[in-house]
Parts: sequence; C-alpha cells; structure tokens
Amino acid sequence: MTVFDTHFDEMACLLYLDAQLEPAQANELRQHAASCAKCGALLHALEGEGQTLRSALIEADEPVPAHLFPRKMQTNSWPWIAVLGFAAAGAYTLWSTVFEPIQAQFVQAGFNQDNVMTMLMFSGAFWKGWDTMRGIAESLALVTLGILCLTLLRRRVRRSGAFAAVLGAIVLGMLAAPSGASAAEVRHGDPNYELPAGEVIHNDLIVAGDYVTIDGDVDGDLIAFTQALIVNGHVKGDVLGWAKEIRIVGSVDGNVRGGSETFQLEGTVARNITVWCGHVMLSPKSIVLGSVILGAGDAELNGAVAKDVMTYSSFARLNGITGGNTTARAGRVVIGAEEQARGTMKVEAHRPPSVDSGAKLASPLQFTEVKHGHDYDSAGYYWHQVLKWGASFLFGLAILLLMPAFFADVTHATRLYGTAGGVGFLVLVATPVLVLIMAVTIVGLGVSISLAFLYVVAIYAAQIFIGAWVGEKLLGAAAGTGAIAGRLALGLALLRILKQLPYAGPFIAAIALLWGLGAIGLAMYRRTRSTLAVA
Amino acid sequence: MTSTELTQTLEQVRGGSSEAWGELYREYAGAIFRFCRRVLPSKEDAEDATTEIFMKVRNRLDQFDSSRPFTAWLYTVASNHCWDMLRRRRIRQDLETPDVETMPLEHPDPSQLEQLLEQSTNEQVRAGLAKLSARARMALVLRYFSDMSYNEIADALGVRRAFVGVLLLRARHELREVLAAGKPKGERSGSGSRAAGAVAGEAL
Repeated sequence: MTVFDTHFDEMACLLYLDAQLEPAQANELRQHAASCAKCGALLHALEGEGQTLRSALIEADEPVPAHLFPRKMQTNSWPWIAVLGFAAAGAYTLWSTVFEPIQAQFVQAGFNQDNVMTMLMFSGAFWKGWDTMRGIAESLALVTLGILCLTLLRRRVRRSGAFAAVLGAIVLGMLAAPSGASAAEVRHGDPNYELPAGEVIHNDLIVAGDYVTIDGDVDGDLIAFTQALIVNGHVKGDVLGWAKEIRIVGSVDGNVRGGSETFQLEGTVARNITVWCGHVMLSPKSIVLGSVILGAGDAELNGAVAKDVMTYSSFARLNGITGGNTTARAGRVVIGAEEQARGTMKVEAHRPPSVDSGAKLASPLQFTEVKHGHDYDSAGYYWHQVLKWGASFLFGLAILLLMPAFFADVTHATRLYGTAGGVGFLVLVATPVLVLIMAVTIVGLGVSISLAFLYVVAIYAAQIFIGAWVGEKLLGAAAGTGAIAGRLALGLALLRILKQLPYAGPFIAAIALLWGLGAIGLAMYRRTRSTLAVA
Repeated sequence: MTSTELTQTLEQVRGGSSEAWGELYREYAGAIFRFCRRVLPSKEDAEDATTEIFMKVRNRLDQFDSSRPFTAWLYTVASNHCWDMLRRRRIRQDLETPDVETMPLEHPDPSQLEQLLEQSTNEQVRAGLAKLSARARMALVLRYFSDMSYNEIADALGVRRAFVGVLLLRARHELREVLAAGKPKGERSGSGSRAAGAVAGEAL
C-alpha cells in the first residue's frame, strides 16, 4: 500500500471497499478517512463508481432472445393448425402448378408411369445403378446413425469402458456381417475398356475408362462413366451414361438415359430416350420404339420415333418420322422435308418455325410465340408483379404472425451479411446433395421429399426476410407487429422492383436469395443449438 | 429458486432428469446470456456462448463442489468459456500487459469523478464498457455483474490474485477516459482520470 504523506492512494481505497485489506490496514484506513476530507471524498467517489458500474451492468436493457427458451410444441393450439393448413395449401398449390403439369407433359410424351419420381428414380438403369451403390451408402448411414445414437446415449452411459465395449461390439458386428453379393460386373478401363465382339457379359456392367467401346453383348444394364461411350453391340437392359460423347450404333432393348456433350443415335432403342446434351443427333436410319425427351443446345431429329417427342433446345430440326405427338420448345425450330408427324405438333419458339413444303403434318401446326425478357408494355406484366408481391407479403405476414420469434431471429441474422451469404451458398448447394443421399439410403425417401419441400419453401422465403431488412433500413427498426408488417410490405415492393431491373435484376435476385437463405440457415442453426442445450 | 430447491434440482439433474435440467436451464439461462452479452462483442456471440456454456455445465456437473455456491461455479464456467472465445479470436489485444502491474495510476479528483458519474447514464456506461479492452471489460463484469471474489477472478482470468486489484483499478481508469471523451468539451471533467485527478498531487 502506498501512502502519499498522510493520505491513502486510490488502490488502497479500492482494496478497502472490496474488503481485500488486512483488518489492521482496513482499520487504519477507516480511521484516517473519518478525519480526512480528501480521502473520505475519494472513498465515497469510488464507492459511487462501483454502484454505477453494478447498476449499469445488471440493468436488463434488452430481452433475452425467446429462442433460448424453446417451448414444447402445443399440438392443439390454433397457430400450429393454421401452419399445417397453410402448408397443406402450399403443397397442393406447388403440386398442381409445378409438378402436375410436368408430369402431364411426361405422360403425353409416352412415359406412362403414374409417378414422376418413380419413373425418374426407380425405373430401369437409374435405379439399378444406384442400387449397387446403395449397399455402401446404407452401411455408411448405419454407421453414422449408430455413432450418433451412442454419442447421445453417452450422457447416460457414463462409464467409458462400457461405452467402448458397446462401440467395439457394433463395429465387430458390422465387419463380421456377410456382405451382399454384387449384382453387377464392375470394370475399370486401363485407360480404355473394350468389350470385344462375340463376348457376352451375363450381368449388369458398370464401367469407367477414357474410351469405352461395347462391341459384344451385355445381358443386363450398361452404366458408363467415360469420355466416349460407343455401343456397337447389343445391350439387353438400359444404357445409362455420363460421357463427353455417347454414340449408339448397335441396339438397346431398354431405355437410354444420360448426359453428354454430344449424343448420336444410329442404331435402335427399343424403349425411351431421355438425354441432356449439347448436341443431339438422331440419324436417318435410327429407330426409337418409345418416346424421346431431350434437353439440348442443338437437336437434329432425323430418325423414326414410334411415340412422342419432346424437346427443349435453342435450336431444333425436325426431319424424321414421329408416331405420337411432338412438342418443341426452342429458340428456333426448322421442320424439314422428311418430317412426318402423325400426331399433333406444338411449337413454342421466339419466331414461327420454318416449315418445308415437303413436310407431312397430320394436324395443323400449333405455334405459340415465346417473348424475350419482360413485356413492359403489357398491363398484365404489372398486374402479375403486383400479384407476386401480394403473395410474398401474405406469406411473410403468415410467418410473422405464426412464428414471430423465428421471424425476428431470421431478420436479425440478415445483419450478418458476409456470414449469411456464405451459409446461403452452402445451403443452396449442399441441400440437393443431401436430398439425393437421403433418397438412396435408409433415411428414406419420405424424409428426402420433406427436406426437398422445405428447401423450396426456404428459397421462396429468402426474399421475405431480405424484404423485412430493406423495410427496416428505410423506416428504422420497429417493435409492433403492425409496424414490422408495414416495413415488410415496403421492403418487398422495393425488392421486387429492383429484381425487375435490366441486367442488375438477376444479380440482385441471386444476392437476395443467398443472403436470405443463409439468414434462415443461421437462425435455424441457433434454434437447434438452443434446443439441444435445454433438452 | 431457493437453495434447498436448487440442491434438489441439481441432484435430479445428476440422476439424469431432463425435466430438472430444463428447470435449471430456465432459471439461469437469462443471467448467463446477460453475462455473455456484457463480455462478448455481439448478440450472436452471446447467444452461441450461452448454449455452449450450458452444454459444458451439463457435462461437468459432476465436477461441481456442492459446498460452493452454484452461481459462482456457473459464472466461473461462463467466464472461462468467454475468455477462451475472446482468446481464440485474438481480440484480446491486451493479453500481454507486462507493465500494467507497475503502471503508475494517476489519482482522480473525487468531485470531478462524481460529476462524471452523475452525467453518465447506464446506457453510456455500458457503451463505454464495450469500448474497453477485453481484459478490462471482463474484469469489471466479473466483479460488478457476477459478484465474483478476487480469487475467482484471478482463476477465471489466469492471473495472480495480487494483480486483480490493479486490473480492476486500471479498468476503471480506462472507463473514465472513455466516458470523459464522450462528453462535450464544456461538460468534460478533465480528460478522464488523468485530468480528473491530481488529488494526490494536491495532497503532496
């Protein structure tokens, strides 16, 4: 302790006030302060400072976030009934406006399965290929779930020895379990793979290599990952290929599906073709006994297709025989002299198709003009925008009224601009992958579809929270529901206008999407953590 | 929650009761959030820290010595966690303050100090605290929010007990500087503690 002549210093006074001095020293200081005005005043000032600090620190100046106290769901309360109602209505709207028309188009094109998902995922080679991977994925999922369960149980199983024994037993059990017999032949090219003419694979064939040439026969499906896939032989199942170039000269008894830079068919396909390619060419001697669905840069259809043709491309030349209906949506469509369309022909393009006089169309061509960009002169465009704004506002209002704490959390999270943007990008990219993984593992298709639905809803909801942020920036922070709703309406309107701007609009929309999606992700992450902490 | 109720709840939590844990959480989560809010730079950090602290508390409840006050132990866990967070982020610029122990502290003029405190609202004091170095802010929060003893503060901050008083006094001086800097010139009581002081000089 320092004493300046007869006075005590500030340190000594503080230690005295905090009861940190020895009794003798404390007594000395007390006696001195009682008779010394300066030291008494200093002691009093320091004590006051301590009280000020205490009062400022303890004062509850802001509420504790509601999500730190997660409540149990009240299943009978009206907000949740309303939420379920909204969700059901939303699901119905989504189904009737998005999925059903797509399904109708697929059915029209000859894919007569009742369910688009069944057709895409469980028919033919798509499913069989995944089925082979499923064993591995299932094992991984089982291990993951097992470890998760054990980690959760660990809180209860406190003895680490017992925990290790259980874990060890599970691992041993998994290792000892007999592995399922492989349902396919798996070949790796070195660097190329060739199945010579006369040789037969009596099974499905999964093959990877720089160049894959099939001159022989495959009794099952052919699944290939390669730069160039050339099928000169006979595949009795489906062909599923991802390649730079796919060329089928021989015959395929099943479907052909895949993606490539170029796709060329010179042989016969007994069922359907579904491909996404830069350039598609069906040569004049090619035959497809089913339907054709194409997503392509350029499509030249010169062969014979027994059922329907549906093409989405920037350029399409139709110059073959089509037994069913034809639907072409393209930048430019040319109908050549050899074209024989026995069903209806619908063309949606930027300009009327060029039709050769030699073309034989069973029914009059139905042309619909597709306009570039927004039609600013049309009153319908503005009405449409107002409707979209109204829909987004109502959706935002529903969230605000039914889940005010969540709304506040997400709006708050939008202030973390960089983090939200990064998380948004991750959510946008990673969720579809997660949906696919779930679909093929034991987690199940139901969970996968639910997640996909939530993903779509979150993408739509992203704009709501950015709108709320914009409104708050313009009019300042608000406390009441009415004021927040007003800011939301203004923010959403401004955001909609910005998104319609030429050139900058799409960028603004993309930024709003990533940012809003990230904010939703961050808020949900925080809520989950709070729930885990209190559970 | 009375001390008897608290003891019973803690026993139930140790026995694996989730309901008891929920009660304990609801009782103290608000206080811990406010503690974190005072110490950490943002609300988001405070929310994250609150949940993490309670996860730690649950896992370490076996280590709690029942003869000690529960809140003191809880704040020790919380302060250790927050201090680690600050250290990990390298925002603890005053981590190495070798001279602070021998740093001469000028003495305040009591009347000017009282004037400064009278002119400062709680909100201004909190805003001033937010501008302090992490260690100074932490020391003041541990002492005046959590009511921790010098021994507990020394443990939490990893310093010698004898150094805690210096740390607290230095933190008060920093705060006075910040508060004085925020006042209009006419209202300033000198430049914080320096010009507010000289009582010692006068005394000499």
